[in-house]
Amino acid sequence: MAIHAAPAASRTAAAPATGAAARPARRRRVDATYYLFLLPTVALFTLAITLPAVMGVVYSFTDSIGFGEYRFIGLTNYAVLFTDPAILSSYGFTVGFALVTVLVVNVVAFLLAIGLAARIPARAALRTVFVLPMVVSGIVIAYVFSFLFSTALPRFGSALGLEALQTSLLANPDLAWTAIVVVTAWQAVPSALLVYTAGIMSIPDEVYEAASIDGASGWRQLRTITLPLLAGYVLINVVIGFKNFLNAYDVIVGLTDGGPGTATRSVAMTIFSGFQGGDYAYQMANATIFFLIALVLALLQLRLTRGRVAVR
Amino acid sequence: MPEPSPSPSKGPSRRSFLAAGLVGAGLALTGCAPSGRSAAVSFYQSKPEVIGYFDELLARFRDERPGIRVAHDVTTDLSAGFARSAPPDLGCSNYNFEIARFVEHGALSDLGDMPEADRVNPDLLPLIGLTASYPGRTSVLPYSLMVAGVLYNREIFDRHGLEVPTTWSELLDVCEALAGAGVTPIYATYTEPWTIGQGLFDYTAGGMVDVTAFFQALAEQGADTGPDSPVSFRNQFREPVERMLTLTRYVNPDAANKGYGDGNLAFARGEAAMYFQGPWALAEIAKTSPELDVGVFPLPMTEDPADRKVRVNVDLALWVPEMSPRQEAARELVSFLLQPDVVDTYNADNLGFGVTTDAPPVTHPALVEVQPYYDAAQFYLGPSQLVPESIPLHNYVQSLVTGADPDTVLRTLDADWARLARRS
Repeated sequence: MAIHAAPAASRTAAAPATGAAARPARRRRVDATYYLFLLPTVALFTLAITLPAVMGVVYSFTDSIGFGEYRFIGLTNYAVLFTDPAILSSYGFTVGFALVTVLVVNVVAFLLAIGLAARIPARAALRTVFVLPMVVSGIVIAYVFSFLFSTALPRFGSALGLEALQTSLLANPDLAWTAIVVVTAWQAVPSALLVYTAGIMSIPDEVYEAASIDGASGWRQLRTITLPLLAGYVLINVVIGFKNFLNAYDVIVGLTDGGPGTATRSVAMTIFSGFQGGDYAYQMANATIFFLIALVLALLQLRLTRGRVAVR
Repeated sequence: MPEPSPSPSKGPSRRSFLAAGLVGAGLALTGCAPSGRSAAVSFYQSKPEVIGYFDELLARFRDERPGIRVAHDVTTDLSAGFARSAPPDLGCSNYNFEIARFVEHGALSDLGDMPEADRVNPDLLPLIGLTASYPGRTSVLPYSLMVAGVLYNREIFDRHGLEVPTTWSELLDVCEALAGAGVTPIYATYTEPWTIGQGLFDYTAGGMVDVTAFFQALAEQGADTGPDSPVSFRNQFREPVERMLTLTRYVNPDAANKGYGDGNLAFARGEAAMYFQGPWALAEIAKTSPELDVGVFPLPMTEDPADRKVRVNVDLALWVPEMSPRQEAARELVSFLLQPDVVDTYNADNLGFGVTTDAPPVTHPALVEVQPYYDAAQFYLGPSQLVPESIPLHNYVQSLVTGADPDTVLRTLDADWARLARRS
């Protein structure tokens, strides 16, 4: 969301400035009140986000354990980082997980949005039900699903004599990630659904009316009207979703705690382990790399979505 | 965030509204700083089961020393506290790798000159030093010790005419006999990695490897640790891990789906004969079956009964940070807490073993069985407690019991150790 607000803010801030340069005579005096309104936010953001982030980057070049004395050790942390199989496998898992989850979330959310756009009974009620998972905290969802996977499903499997269901999905090193995808998707579908619903509602009815007069079938309308006009929304959902799923943490902690073994350890979990384990500077280097990746994604998002979203 | 939209004409003027907002923001910012440098000694103790217990102790202290104000801190994040130079004045916490960092960097003051330091059981000193030490200092005073072994259901053992095993082969015989009689020999809970690390893994390794010598050598070896170094997990832990995997043949078939809570419940209901958990599980088991007749024995890992050892960990230790401006008052509280009647009562009430030379033996009917091992210093620190948290040992152990190749896992562990040594 913050990334979203940023371009808008910088654009409005930039516009008067260029205007002022071109026509100084018509320069409008900006009421000081606006700056005063901005001040607390800017101060808080600097103190709580920017400053710690910069300090974190500085610490990544040291051997600090989080307190006390430390030395600068140059790029050692980074050099070790790129040869650490634990770190590399956490990146592999996280990126793969994020890609699959983005796909699942968007397909499901898109289909639900199309379904909910139809004039079906109890549409409003259904919409509310589908959005509910969004308001429950991730860790709570994870514990509930953990119970389902470890207790309810195996019991169900035994009752039906289904071999495959009798062992928890979470205990299978090769398949535990699918459980995490399911739970994350369950939680993430609502927000994607809302974006798609908004997109569908913004398509004027006249377009569809004209299409049906021309004899276009429902499928044809979906393919040549709805889909192209929603392309911008798909892009937003994919990029934002991917960025969020890269930060996967609470759902995994609640479901598998990175296990079985280290099969489902995400980058965020690895970074956090550094604070408790005294590996502070090393994981700060990891966090810096991770931040750069997120930054590239954010810039990519800005580039791709500029213009697209304001398609009408 | 909804935007506040004050109506333009009514209410406070725009400027006074703004001023109020700024004052509010200022207050919010100061709220982030370490709260008021008042004279109260902050006592950090966050073991959930005994927060109420310590509240009562502090109340007694306040009555005895009205001059000293004490506040019970149960929430502080220690790393953050030390990082912003405002740690608690007195800590009473698990003595583990988190505290080890503060010890090794000299962040804790020397308590060696206190008369209480002379009462500490000298057998414990090598263990405390193994976890962490700072030259010339007594950085922590132990307060409570947990002694752990295999919890076993005495009734099930009696019913099948079984004796407590004293050697590895007797242990396997017991498992066979139980399995043959249709009883689950061992209850395991694989979904929670720590339960395997502290239990199956620590007991098997601790019963075979000289843990103190191994970790001292490993620390000296540091970055040179690898498959060909004289000391490595791959060399010294290979056999214990294989024996651990032998034992996993006797666990409940649904271990992969079960967690700590399931284990306590199942053991309390008599669904298995043995359970690899520390005394902390006794209280949980008693919640379901207060009358259950439980005993404890050290896991025999060799053919010599004299090799049997119990696993110990310093569950609570007292420490006073060097940075604390209230060290004198904190030390008074240390003296109060370490009075024989206070510390001994605590340990008796909370299934801990005494840590002082004058401490009485335990009285709990399960724990009396392991008192002789403690008295004879036949104990070891759990290896899982000696591996820094940045190496996900518990997860590795979980992968072992769920089928990973031991050689690969132990090699990974060695490589992680070397990498950690290289950068710290």
